[in-house]
Amino acid sequence: MRSEYIWSVILFFPLLIIQTTIVPLIAIRGVTPDLIMILLVFYSMRCGQIYGSVLGFSYGLLFDLITGSLLGSTMLSKTLAGFIAGYFSNENKIENYFKSYIFFLIVFLCSIVDLVIYSFFTSLDLNTSILKLLFEQGILPGIYTSILSIFVVMFYPKRSIS
Amino acid sequence: MFRFFSSIWENFKEYIILVILLTISLVTMSLSQNPAARKVKSLAFGSFSAFTSVISDMVNISGLKSENSNLRKLNAELMLQVSELRKYGIENSELKGLLGLKDTSMLPLLAGTVISKSLSRSQSTFTLNIGKKDGVASGMPVLNDHGLVGIVNSTSDNFSIVRTLKNLDLKLTVKDERSRVEGIMKWNGNDLVMIDIPKTYDIEPGDRIITSELSSIIDIPIPIGSVIGLSKVETGIFNEVRINPFVDFIRTEHVFVIAIVENKIENGEQMNFYLRKKLEINK
Repeated sequence: MRSEYIWSVILFFPLLIIQTTIVPLIAIRGVTPDLIMILLVFYSMRCGQIYGSVLGFSYGLLFDLITGSLLGSTMLSKTLAGFIAGYFSNENKIENYFKSYIFFLIVFLCSIVDLVIYSFFTSLDLNTSILKLLFEQGILPGIYTSILSIFVVMFYPKRSIS
Repeated sequence: MFRFFSSIWENFKEYIILVILLTISLVTMSLSQNPAARKVKSLAFGSFSAFTSVISDMVNISGLKSENSNLRKLNAELMLQVSELRKYGIENSELKGLLGLKDTSMLPLLAGTVISKSLSRSQSTFTLNIGKKDGVASGMPVLNDHGLVGIVNSTSDNFSIVRTLKNLDLKLTVKDERSRVEGIMKWNGNDLVMIDIPKTYDIEPGDRIITSELSSIIDIPIPIGSVIGLSKVETGIFNEVRINPFVDFIRTEHVFVIAIVENKIENGEQMNFYLRKKLEINK
């Protein structure tokens, strides 16, 4: 378990570099996936709600510091997303989650929560309708992020029967 | 008593920790403009940007060949235009001399490259590979060959962060180049819009929008975009003008920083928000 704690921090930095340099090149009409969210959901499901919340808090803090956005905005949204992802942490079912479509759904749900909370707290124009906000700021990026989470499902190591 | 708190902790520790972390996040948000927080941000993005600049250079190499070919063609076209303009420039100088006007066309430009982008819908920012050591300061406009990209928001020694036009925190005074109608432009999460434009004012789709001399941040006319439509509100007396920016923020790689921070003082008050912040920090 300790090695997972270390890996969850180590993997953040290269993913953030990819998120800020390569991911903008694969944007579709301004919609970009969130690789940090996939990493957060993965480790929150493996390590539990408390770890997920703290990890989300840490990822958000580092992201805000490094990208220059409103300090605290990503902290708030990722903390909540990590908490929600950690809810699905279950030692008995986790293998099934990681090898099936359930992982996509969890990533999708956490992405929506993260993006909607982030948009709300960064003073989005309140003349925009809530449904439009949910669709453009939450659902579309959430779908894109959950599609990319297929790599976790494809490369998740199978348990060997010894 | 101890058992009571202990049982509460055992049953609700996840929620207690969540509430604590959310509270810290909200407090941090309220203190985000604090000078100490800004210094920490500057240090963090300065350190990280050194790594992203390496990756960004590797990514950009792949597009260099086609970009070079396009640039050579553009150079040839510009060369023809320049020789035409040179003729008008000479004539203009002579006329200006007669009127006693000062020449303000030579602006100091600092070339920079975008090494990372945060393309959030509400707070889009770029990180550039030039900083304080190169002469960049907060409040300097950033542009490319198409138009205005944004304003420098914070700097470290070797890097700087630019708030692009697609950032909720950036509002500018702009005007219609044809009809000279002025207004405030902002990003509303979906479009660049000029707000509170009276319905009787002359603005049509296709009009070019440029920065206005009335702006306390940029008083040099820089192209921003073209009008794509008016959101005509049935009630009230104002329209909202939607603008399509000239700059493609996804493909922008090379930019120029105008090394001037507008100093506008009226009635003893500094009108430029970025200079005012700097004075408060120095106090």
